[in-house]
Amino acid sequence: MAANPSPPTSLAAGAPLIYQRRIRRWAVQIVYLAITAFVIFYVVQALGEREYGFGFLNQPAGFDIGNQWLVDFDGTTSSRLTLFFVGVWSTVRVVAVVIALSTVLGVIVGVARLSPSWLLSKTAMLFVELFRNTPLYVQVVIWYAIGLFGLPTIQNVVNIGNFLFLSNRGVALPWPHEQGGFWGGADWMVGVWVGVLVIGGAVALKVRKRLQNQEQATGQTRYPNRIAMGMFAGIAVVSFFLLGMPVYVDRPIIEGTNYAEGMAVRPEFAALTLGLTVYTGAFIAEIVRASIQALPKGQTEAANAIGLSNYQRLTLIILPQALRQMIPSITNQYLNANKNSSIALGVSYFDLFFVANIISNKIGHAVEIFFMIIVTYTVLSLSISLVMNIANSRITARDKEDGTRTSGLRQRLIYALRSRVPMGETS
Amino acid sequence: MTESEERLTSTTAPTERHGQKVVLPPHRQRAARPYQVRAANWLRINLFASWDRTLLTVISFAILGSVIAFVVWFVMSYANWNVVTDNRRLLLIGSFPHGAEWRLWVGLCFVFTLAGASYGMWSKLGLRDGLFIVIGSAFALFMILHETSQAWAALWFGVAVVLLSVGYLLCRLVPREEGPTRRVATRVLGLLLALSVPIVFALLMAGPGGADANELSGYLLNLLLAPAGIAGGILVGIPLALGRASSLKAISWTCTAYIEVVRGAPLIGWLFVALFILSDIIGGDLIVRTMVVLAIFTGAYMAEYIRGGLQALPRGQYEAGHAVGLPHWRTMQLIILPQALRISIPPIVGQAIALWKDTALISIILPLRELVGSSRSAIAQGEFITARIEVYVFAAVMFWIVAFVMSRVSQRIERSLGVGQR
Repeated sequence: MAANPSPPTSLAAGAPLIYQRRIRRWAVQIVYLAITAFVIFYVVQALGEREYGFGFLNQPAGFDIGNQWLVDFDGTTSSRLTLFFVGVWSTVRVVAVVIALSTVLGVIVGVARLSPSWLLSKTAMLFVELFRNTPLYVQVVIWYAIGLFGLPTIQNVVNIGNFLFLSNRGVALPWPHEQGGFWGGADWMVGVWVGVLVIGGAVALKVRKRLQNQEQATGQTRYPNRIAMGMFAGIAVVSFFLLGMPVYVDRPIIEGTNYAEGMAVRPEFAALTLGLTVYTGAFIAEIVRASIQALPKGQTEAANAIGLSNYQRLTLIILPQALRQMIPSITNQYLNANKNSSIALGVSYFDLFFVANIISNKIGHAVEIFFMIIVTYTVLSLSISLVMNIANSRITARDKEDGTRTSGLRQRLIYALRSRVPMGETS
Repeated sequence: MTESEERLTSTTAPTERHGQKVVLPPHRQRAARPYQVRAANWLRINLFASWDRTLLTVISFAILGSVIAFVVWFVMSYANWNVVTDNRRLLLIGSFPHGAEWRLWVGLCFVFTLAGASYGMWSKLGLRDGLFIVIGSAFALFMILHETSQAWAALWFGVAVVLLSVGYLLCRLVPREEGPTRRVATRVLGLLLALSVPIVFALLMAGPGGADANELSGYLLNLLLAPAGIAGGILVGIPLALGRASSLKAISWTCTAYIEVVRGAPLIGWLFVALFILSDIIGGDLIVRTMVVLAIFTGAYMAEYIRGGLQALPRGQYEAGHAVGLPHWRTMQLIILPQALRISIPPIVGQAIALWKDTALISIILPLRELVGSSRSAIAQGEFITARIEVYVFAAVMFWIVAFVMSRVSQRIERSLGVGQR
């Protein structure tokens, strides 16, 4: 806020000290701090009878949450700290999937909301009004109930081409799996391949940039996107065979009453992800709609005037400009999704809040555990903000009036840390 | 509208163009077309203008049609609604003491009268609002009367709706222009609104035969906790916002720290605090602790929105206050806060809706049974164990109704306060 402009401070000599602005400011702050200190003292006093210390984290967890993706967890040997970090890992997985899916869903619905087709825009409006005004928790519980009671048992599983299974045990999908390959190589060959992909991607991006520059300098068509994509695909395929096919896609099968092979998505994860995606997507759709509507109408007219198709108008003219406006609000939604993922407790998905709650129920130490919860959520929120701020600085810096742009990772980091993105709107 | 579309729709009636009513010159006026032609034109323009739009229309028709068909099948054929009708009392008022129901009805009458009066004072009911009230009342009466003979309840509800209309009509009689009558009327109504939360709590709990704190549950608990949290949040939020914007470093730093820490953890985390930590600090009933946590939590968010309003005010407003010789706090009270609050009404209502939805989280971790918790108890009775979806769908609808009404009211407030225009 603009600081309240100070009235003149000179006073007649001999006026009581309390009328001097500087003295009064000090007095007010000292009184205020004294009251605050008293409140803090009272709270500390009230909580003083508990035992404190983080030693309980090193004891064995005594609670088994089973193996999670990429993590094998054994409740009898692992410590409580490990349990907590497995919970954090579960939260990160949910939030990452939700951020990706809800962005896609939100952009589609937001654009559909502005469609000239009356029926489509009303359908999108119905979607938004329905899912935005219902509590997320109730939505997730309904998805979960549908998953458990609406879907068939595993004996009557819905089998889509031996490729995808659907039952009340969850969804099973094909999943890539590492293998030695026909050179008889080791399992780490897949790591080599991923490394080659990263390098190839970087090279392809460089080539694309260079071709784009040539295009801009000479005006000749150079097909930067097609050439770069072709290069990347070529590198991927050739290296895949040269390394002796280090990855194969594993189809799910059913063993007894369980899924095996492939990737089994548990109903808890599916319900939580679906609920969060739809809920966050509805909010993102409104943001997308508002930022497109905020663009001047001339942009659409200009696109029509030079004869772009509807799809080209959207992807070349409208969305890139709207993107700049919506990034701060969308970041807000990502942060909300991060915090909202804590309703996992309601469907017994082992996220960080769930395991923290378990530990607290077993051993107490509520204050320390709450401290861990708040620190973890803050770290996750700050990481999301940081990534989004970097993205924001890249996007907004590109077209400053004078053509300069924030260059270098260091500069961008400083910019990202300085520009403060709000911490989300709701819980 | 393009030229051709305009020609298709233009009649002798004034046409809208750039948001203004335009009467076309006589040579461009046409007689109104027969409705078949107009309907055909509307369809052509809005649904089948070109092949790709036709495709979109067909796809959305397929989606919408199958969803509607599914919903109709679910509601009419699949669902076992007995879980809702048999547990009406449990879901709506939980363990509210028998024989004290009249307190609820008096409270409902009070709230409905206030709502009607506020609408009459500051806004106008349109055709859609009227339709919504009629449909809502019909739904409520159906809920009350279905398969029982609750004549008294229906009568009470009818009285409440009548009081809503009476309050509305009485306040419509108050002149719209600023004047002594209107000033007195708005003062009285504003005071009643500000005190409505404690009044309702007193109506339900005071005196012999009133409900105990732990007898408040079901949908009633959501309806009580959300307004309490919102009112408490505003009370916490205003001083926090002023503190954060203060030029005194000690005050602004502690307020900032408070706001950022509270917003750092999800609401469930703070409910965890209410359950396990706050018991040692303030004690009291769990329901009181929950209200305190809701107010603390909402207050941090409210403070940020109010701060936004403070920042949006031009510096000249502060300077003007000092120029006419007002002390700092009078400047704030008379000049700054009224304007800042007016700017921040839309996000504050948004936060109120968010808190309303968040009351559903309470029974995840606390042993309080609001609507979702009562739903869980309803399922726990053996005979309804398979009727989970039905009871949660009912809960979703009950939450949706209030959230939807709130979002509509907030749009109305925005328009009638002229937010965004000075």
